[in-house]
Amino acid sequence: MDKKTRDILITSFLAVIMGLFLSGIMILFLGKNPISVFALLFSSMFRDGYTIGEIFVKATPLIFTSLAFAFTFKASLFNIGAQGQFYIGALTAASISLLIPHPIAIVLAIIFSFLFSGIWGGLIGFFKSRFKANEFLISMMSTYVALNFMNYLLRTVLIESKGEYPQTDSLAKSTWLFKIVPHTRLHFGFILAIVVAILIWLLLYRTTLGFRIRAVGQNQEAARMSGVNPELVFIFAFFVSGGLAGLAGVTEVNGVQHMLLQGFNPSIGAIGIGIAILANANPIGIIFASILFGALQVGGTIMGQISGVPSSIIDLMEGFVMVFVIISYFVRNKLEVNREKKLLLEGDK
Amino acid sequence: MLVNLLSRAIMMSTPLLFGAISEVFSERTGMMVTAIEGIFLMGAWAGFTTAYISGSLAMGLLFASFAGLLVAMLYAYLCVTLKQHQIVTGTAINILVAGLCAFLHRVVFGVPLSPLTVEPLQKIALPLLSKIPFLGPIFFNQNILTYIMYILVPLGFFIMYKTSLGLVVRSTGENPEAVDVSGINVSKVRFVTVMVSGLMCGVAGAFYSIGYLGMFTTNIIGGRGWIAFAICFLGNWNPIGAFIGTIIFGLAEAFAILMQSGASTFLPNELFIALPYILTIVLTISRKSFNVPAKLGTAYIKEN
Amino acid sequence: MDKPFFELKGISKYFAKVIANKDVSFSVNRGEVLALLGENGAGKSTCMKILYGLYGADEGEIYKNGEQIIIKSPKDAMKHKISMIQQHFSLVSAHTVTENIILGNIKGKINWAYEEQKIQDLANKYELKVDAQKKIKDLTVGEQQKVEILKALYLEANLLIMDEPTAVLTPQEIDNLMKFVKDYSKQGNAVIFITHKLKEVMSVANRIIVMRSGMVYGNVKKDKTDEYQLSKMMIEGSFEQVERDDSLNYSDEICLSIKNMSLKSKSGIPVINDVSFDIHKGEIFGVAGVSGNGQLELCMSICGAMKPDEGFVLLNDVDITNYSIKERIALGLGYVPSDRHRYGMVMSMTLAENILLKTSYSKYWKKHGLIDRKKLNDKTNKILTNFNVKAPGPASLAQELSGGNQQKVIVGREVENCGDFIIFDQPTRGLDLGAINNVHSSILNEKENEKAVMLVSTELSEIFALCDRVAIFYKGEIQGIYKTSDLDSEKIGLLMAGYKKQGDK
Repeated sequence: MDKKTRDILITSFLAVIMGLFLSGIMILFLGKNPISVFALLFSSMFRDGYTIGEIFVKATPLIFTSLAFAFTFKASLFNIGAQGQFYIGALTAASISLLIPHPIAIVLAIIFSFLFSGIWGGLIGFFKSRFKANEFLISMMSTYVALNFMNYLLRTVLIESKGEYPQTDSLAKSTWLFKIVPHTRLHFGFILAIVVAILIWLLLYRTTLGFRIRAVGQNQEAARMSGVNPELVFIFAFFVSGGLAGLAGVTEVNGVQHMLLQGFNPSIGAIGIGIAILANANPIGIIFASILFGALQVGGTIMGQISGVPSSIIDLMEGFVMVFVIISYFVRNKLEVNREKKLLLEGDK
Repeated sequence: MLVNLLSRAIMMSTPLLFGAISEVFSERTGMMVTAIEGIFLMGAWAGFTTAYISGSLAMGLLFASFAGLLVAMLYAYLCVTLKQHQIVTGTAINILVAGLCAFLHRVVFGVPLSPLTVEPLQKIALPLLSKIPFLGPIFFNQNILTYIMYILVPLGFFIMYKTSLGLVVRSTGENPEAVDVSGINVSKVRFVTVMVSGLMCGVAGAFYSIGYLGMFTTNIIGGRGWIAFAICFLGNWNPIGAFIGTIIFGLAEAFAILMQSGASTFLPNELFIALPYILTIVLTISRKSFNVPAKLGTAYIKEN
Repeated sequence: MDKPFFELKGISKYFAKVIANKDVSFSVNRGEVLALLGENGAGKSTCMKILYGLYGADEGEIYKNGEQIIIKSPKDAMKHKISMIQQHFSLVSAHTVTENIILGNIKGKINWAYEEQKIQDLANKYELKVDAQKKIKDLTVGEQQKVEILKALYLEANLLIMDEPTAVLTPQEIDNLMKFVKDYSKQGNAVIFITHKLKEVMSVANRIIVMRSGMVYGNVKKDKTDEYQLSKMMIEGSFEQVERDDSLNYSDEICLSIKNMSLKSKSGIPVINDVSFDIHKGEIFGVAGVSGNGQLELCMSICGAMKPDEGFVLLNDVDITNYSIKERIALGLGYVPSDRHRYGMVMSMTLAENILLKTSYSKYWKKHGLIDRKKLNDKTNKILTNFNVKAPGPASLAQELSGGNQQKVIVGREVENCGDFIIFDQPTRGLDLGAINNVHSSILNEKENEKAVMLVSTELSEIFALCDRVAIFYKGEIQGIYKTSDLDSEKIGLLMAGYKKQGDK
């Protein structure tokens, strides 16, 4: 294994450790023993088959939202709107499943969720191409717009037959994603997520299209001089990115909730960004990092129920880990420079 | 009715202006304070908690600005000193602060049975001025932070264009090398400017919790830090432009609150809630940014 | 004994990939014009940046009037009355002359009217024609340099360091600058002048320091040396200058034709003005002129990155004026850009990926929809070997290579890809002599292969060595197209400065 990869793995590992360490200090403020809390956290993750299954259930949408951020990141674009694109995808999936209570709805949901959330995201790319608008701001704002749009629909058109709460009816069982492990909630969506992640990896690193996307991301002008059209790349990247986030909508609606309600999965967009950063925007790395974060979420929820440590400690942990990952970039760079300087001086002797 | 709306608009503009003007100065040095939403939130929490515990709103505001300063210093350390990516860092800090505030709120207050409240900032009617017909109740019957806002705008303009500090700030974002070569420490300029941003944005965040609502929830800021961020862009990196942008958004927000409180059953509530965000998108698209500081968002790296 | 004004002793500086300075020692006296001579990469700029506090030395000391001084930042250097004008000006282009000059030299409230007047008076005193209220971006390059000089005078500098000041000036502006340098030094100030141009050194310097590979190789008084001796000190080892076979002429067949091309800038100023010329197969056609006279825009228009307002571009009699960049690349139009970091390569990608860059749309690389990596690596290896590139392999990152090797990769890529026509835009700028040689060989090779070559260059020696014919550009217009054998440097210099001889075309 070459030095660079070794550096990446070590510093990522250390970043996670440091994140846990600082969270441990915060736990002290609660008057609790961090070591026993962490022990409880880790043991509770694996306490039974169902809980282990939950890890992958939680990881599934995270894989999609982190892929969404990572994909545009490769083009040096910032899609902060994955949460909103997820809502659009969820709306599409729920609507189709309510309309067509038949397994074919699953296929249609996947196709149309990708399409509509892709268009929702692609609009951002279009605005950037056509008007040179700041995609960071627009994608940020688009989430709030999508959220309110969804809330409106849930209150009116899509509302349950009872008309009591702003949520849809339960979806027919025929539209549920089938379980892949019995006695758990682990569903086909996880497989879909892995497959999609691998496809995205292939696209980015083994096709000329993906190469062009990365070239635009790393040196837009050189790419343009080489015949690439960056404006088209922007639109395409945001379309795919939005579509990926939308697929999370399918897995959550058809695979977990089996309905659509307000305020569910409120932060998978933001956490997706954190995962993408931790995994250095590499699709394969994202799979593992998502599983890690999924495990943290599961453990955190249980810990919250049992030990009285609030589950928001997990959000805190995730935040700390992200900050340390950023510091690790700096450390890695410094190590690299020092290593080269040393080689140089030795060579001179 | 109109007076009410306009008075509300001025009030809701206040935190946006604090945020936008501080962002203008930071971005002019080349730093996008992408942690702005987190700084607002930190200020809101620290302000509320201090005010609740101490009983003093002034203490609340003071600690809110300190809290904002601390978060800004973390951002400045990562982006100015370690020269890391501004958008990635800001996003990380926003996530961290969100978790931190939720956690700390639990630690300090546990799970209260009913929401905790403080008495928010009172309006102070300025003698004589508030009696002016029409304009009086709108501009001169506001809380102390709004009065400070009135001073900030001309002050900001003066500093930016009529002082050496402003010249240094403007030059740093355009060509940090030119500033370096003139004997000024670029990192120091950026670090300090971001710190001042932290102070001001902390107060801005506290406005929502102790200046207006009188309570704290984890989504109290709801993207308004980002609107202040957007106003900097839309105001063309100019304090006066920021003021105009702020008024527009303050109006939008006041209008939305008015509509939501039952005045209209014609259009859905959600549309009014989403109005400020839609407005931001529309304006971001239509504005041609003339004044973008040339080196906005890039770290200043000297030795290769 | 008179102590020298400023002295560097034992200065060493190590960067991650190169030893920039090794044990550099020399001094400069009051009233002296010292030339720091050396080819690109010799370390001249580095030691001066250390003297000005932009870099910190890893070893060594600095002395003023015999006493050691510590310079950790430009602020310290300015305290000792040192000023430095860099190759790429340190000016804020969106700001005015006044704003640039008082930056860092004023505190508190600014009275703009007063400051502008002060600067204008100073400019008039030194006969530097500059308008204190104008924005830097609206000034010519020569005027911008005057602003830099004005700033140094404003700071009452006693030591003025200038890094390659003549690179962007016309011959007339160069004369003005030399006159200023002489006057300034006569007043008891010192000037250190970094350059790689022998002629300038001999015309204005009192003493010359020759640097090579980060070390000092020579320290001579001007009247004790000559150009031949200096160039021997500058150059490492012996090398075979590429010989041009004058007997090889070019065919009558026209490959590229430019007809009445005009292009205006956003503010309406003509950047290219009614330009027409033809390039034949097997011809090396030179485009000479001080940079900034429309050459870059001409290259961009030919390769499709810019669209001219009027005129036509014809490649092998096909009108490609409205073709996209992608289409022109597919037709075999090659372009080695002047700024390889910006336009030529993606530095953070591998060499193989950079080879793929220009032809990523081609079906040639595809195997079952994916990139045929073996094919790509083979092609990359072939280019690395044929063009003498020192690199670990196709998987190494472009940024790991030296500038010369990067350029060779780009040249190799373009030569391999191009069909009939290739542009070389300042291909040897910033390269060491070995790399320059390699590039020149490649260019001559293309001529032998009956390709049409357009060579844009500011180095007259290069133009004379390689080109069959040359067009001289001045303010977007062609001053004349000549056979190279009909020109000499004096004539070309006049044309570059805009003097059109009567009846010439």
